[in-house]
Amino acid sequence: METERIEAPRATSVSAGAGFKPRLRTVGVVLFVAAYFAATTFVAHSDLGVQSLVLVAAVFGVLAISLDLVAGMLGLYSLGQGGFFAIGAYFTTIVVNDLSWNVFLVLLIVLLIAGLIGLAVGAMSLRVSGLYFAITSFIFTLVLTVLATDLKITGGLQGLLGPAFPDFPEGFEALGTPVAWCVLLALLLCVGFVWSIRRSPLYPVLLAIRDAERFAEAAGARTSLIKIGVFGVSAAMAGGAGWLFSFLGVVSPGQFDWAVSLNILVMVLIGGINTTLGPVIGAAFVSMFPALVNINPWLQEMVYGALSILAVTLLPGGVMSLLKRVATFGEGAAPEPAVAALDRPEALVEASLFRKFAGGSAGAAQAGAPESEYAVECRGIRFSYGTGLMVLRNVDLAVRRGDIHGLIGPNGSGKSTLANVIAGRLPPLAGATLIKGLPVDGASPSKRAELGMRRTFQAAELVRELTPIQNVMVGLFNLKPGIIRRAALWPLLPSGRRDLAWMEGRSREALEMVGAGAWVGRAVGDVPHGVEQLTQLASVCVAGPDIIILDEPATGLSAREVDHLAEILTHLKAQGVTMIIIEHQTRFLFPLCDRVTVLNAGEVILTGTAEEVRAHPVVRQVYLGE
Amino acid sequence: MLQFVVSGVAIGAVYGLIGMALAITFYVTRIINFAQGQMMMATVMVTAEVRAAGYPTWAAALLGLGCACVLGVLSYLIAVRPILALNRFSFGWLVSTLGFAVILENAAAYIWGPTSQAFPPMFQGTSFHLVDAVVTGQQLLAIVTAAVLTVGFELVRRGTLFGKIGMATAADPEMATAVGVNTTVVAIIAFAASAFYAGVAGLLIGPTTFANPYLGDTFGTFGFIAMMIGGGTEKPIAAMFGGLLLGVCAEGANAMINSQASDWFPFIILVVVLIVSPRGLFSAGNLFRLRARSVASAQA
Repeated sequence: METERIEAPRATSVSAGAGFKPRLRTVGVVLFVAAYFAATTFVAHSDLGVQSLVLVAAVFGVLAISLDLVAGMLGLYSLGQGGFFAIGAYFTTIVVNDLSWNVFLVLLIVLLIAGLIGLAVGAMSLRVSGLYFAITSFIFTLVLTVLATDLKITGGLQGLLGPAFPDFPEGFEALGTPVAWCVLLALLLCVGFVWSIRRSPLYPVLLAIRDAERFAEAAGARTSLIKIGVFGVSAAMAGGAGWLFSFLGVVSPGQFDWAVSLNILVMVLIGGINTTLGPVIGAAFVSMFPALVNINPWLQEMVYGALSILAVTLLPGGVMSLLKRVATFGEGAAPEPAVAALDRPEALVEASLFRKFAGGSAGAAQAGAPESEYAVECRGIRFSYGTGLMVLRNVDLAVRRGDIHGLIGPNGSGKSTLANVIAGRLPPLAGATLIKGLPVDGASPSKRAELGMRRTFQAAELVRELTPIQNVMVGLFNLKPGIIRRAALWPLLPSGRRDLAWMEGRSREALEMVGAGAWVGRAVGDVPHGVEQLTQLASVCVAGPDIIILDEPATGLSAREVDHLAEILTHLKAQGVTMIIIEHQTRFLFPLCDRVTVLNAGEVILTGTAEEVRAHPVVRQVYLGE
Repeated sequence: MLQFVVSGVAIGAVYGLIGMALAITFYVTRIINFAQGQMMMATVMVTAEVRAAGYPTWAAALLGLGCACVLGVLSYLIAVRPILALNRFSFGWLVSTLGFAVILENAAAYIWGPTSQAFPPMFQGTSFHLVDAVVTGQQLLAIVTAAVLTVGFELVRRGTLFGKIGMATAADPEMATAVGVNTTVVAIIAFAASAFYAGVAGLLIGPTTFANPYLGDTFGTFGFIAMMIGGGTEKPIAAMFGGLLLGVCAEGANAMINSQASDWFPFIILVVVLIVSPRGLFSAGNLFRLRARSVASAQA
């Protein structure tokens, strides 16, 4: 019920504020698609030379998009695209030529096979991250090329002649060459696919997985599953590109070797990584380059090598960053609101933000859980990093429901480690953890997030190239169902537009509530440290959690901001939220806390009220410095 | 049986040297120099050219090695440094080092043509008998040289201040800069040294393969496999062990399966090794040691 009451004004205020711009964008999209169809008609009627040039470029466009999907959005530099491309091309050629199956049925099979192999390769190679992923996928391509060269069925080094694409049905011949329509429509579909994802709430989540995986995990995203899944989609797309490619001529091992995989990366980097059109521009340039620069082939290759070095060293953002710079030239800096973020009326804190949303709260999942007096309980937690000394020795901690529980101790006493153990980030060697009375040992951070637990990090983990609003939206990830499912068509779905407006509105509200409302228009990379901290807090509060773990939330905040933070936390407590706060500033912490636990060298010295802790002789000695 | 082990170790020593060359630059800059195979090719081509012009073999070899070192430093200055200066964690080097390799390879093909040329043998005619196996002088030279260079590298890395500076740069370049290390100089020396290793590999294998502009591709790939099997990304010396294992396996496959088997068999080994132990067999962080460590900590 309340969901609707809050949703309605939010949606209208957003669309009223920027009613003109979406309409302009719709017109732009329609114009783009119309122009694209006109161009396709032109290509379908051109001579063979032009056609093969454009169509090969378009196939590489699809490949480059498939790479950008994982490299740009998830930071997974796959060199396996050439391998999936080969799977699609060889499978289609062999099955259509020898068994004469229907080509569209084959397309479905190709997408399925390449996707499944992608999932398998992803599941195997994502155990090791970063560079190792690039290397493993590189080896995947190497192996496939060797197989294609040495097997009999693939025709060895000479390769195979690809099948012919079926003709148009009666009455459609006027459209021109069918394969041209097929390839260019496929490219349009892929562009539309990534365009939609970039406009969906999944996009900030993907970038969060790329840049701040712990943040995405703590917000309830199953990061490794999402990574493997997206890689599977990318592999299917590359397989589909292979299907298209088989209709364009000969299929031979040289077209899929590791150098091709790297060339696809060159295309993405030249065009502009993590942009919608950049990969297509890069693909067009790289694949048409030999036709444009018609000189001695060795000299031509040398020029190409030099150009790719120049592109990545001089233009790291690619052609798209250049275009963007040209487009914004002369506009000057956009007017920024003054840094008077905290001069807002305190009434904002009273915003209805923390009211529990029926069915929409992060903590709604555990219906039927036994009522427990304690929100978080730790029993006999032991932990050590590697073979070193024990960081936590037999720590017991019990946080009562609705309390603010302080956690203090000298540097290195194990406070952050304990927070990581509670949040599921680090598995303890021994001991049990209970959240709301439920044993959660072995549960992942995202599982624990579903129980209504959220956390912040000592050093803010955020996506620096996104705005604070987009970052806060990551915190809403598991409040709206089907974000991943709907991402491919997001802007076209009425429910998608409605949910996005709701999420944006709620995120903006959360940012205003924590006092960072003036910064919503900038990228997080450009805001001061204090605003980063506040954005983190907003991304946690926005989900309406039951339990919040705050790791040094006051670090880097001015005295005024600290006061405001205390007010926010008091308000959260009034809403019934349980909090565990790690903090060094006892003047800020003690007045807030119901109970305080003091850790020293991995052991609990004492748990008690702030007064008891302040009066305790050992605490005064080891921590308060007397 | 013994015969293929001997020839496997000899060819494996060459793979291992290229693997170490890749690993040395990786060790200091955390990038893989895709142009490493081309450094080896450059050495071979220049040596063959100078020798053909009538100069003595040792002078030709020295000139070839010098040329590789210069190219190695150039590859750092042109293709690596500008990218790491912008963003230390960027992957742009995948593209730029490959671009550098493309330039070198095609320049060589442009200058010398795509066909093979004669290469002077380093150690003529002599051969020895080891039980029932024959070891040619060339093979013995490869094994001894590789052993000397491997031990030498490890002595420098562990025993000298420069080696420790290299380790510090590898672990954290920003921290190393903060304590006064000139990381650029360290990287330049590392790239020169790695090009030297690749060049030596070229001199050792040149008499067998002859001088061809496309040598770098094949040997670069095998060097890469050697590094990955061994775990050279963590410890350069492990790349040499990987190379020896690779050489013996490839020669064994040739002897046992058929004469083409060495084209694809190494890839199978690589895939199996990476599934069993993703960080390589001889590295510090491999599967076996990790398990031992967690057992130890559970007992503590």
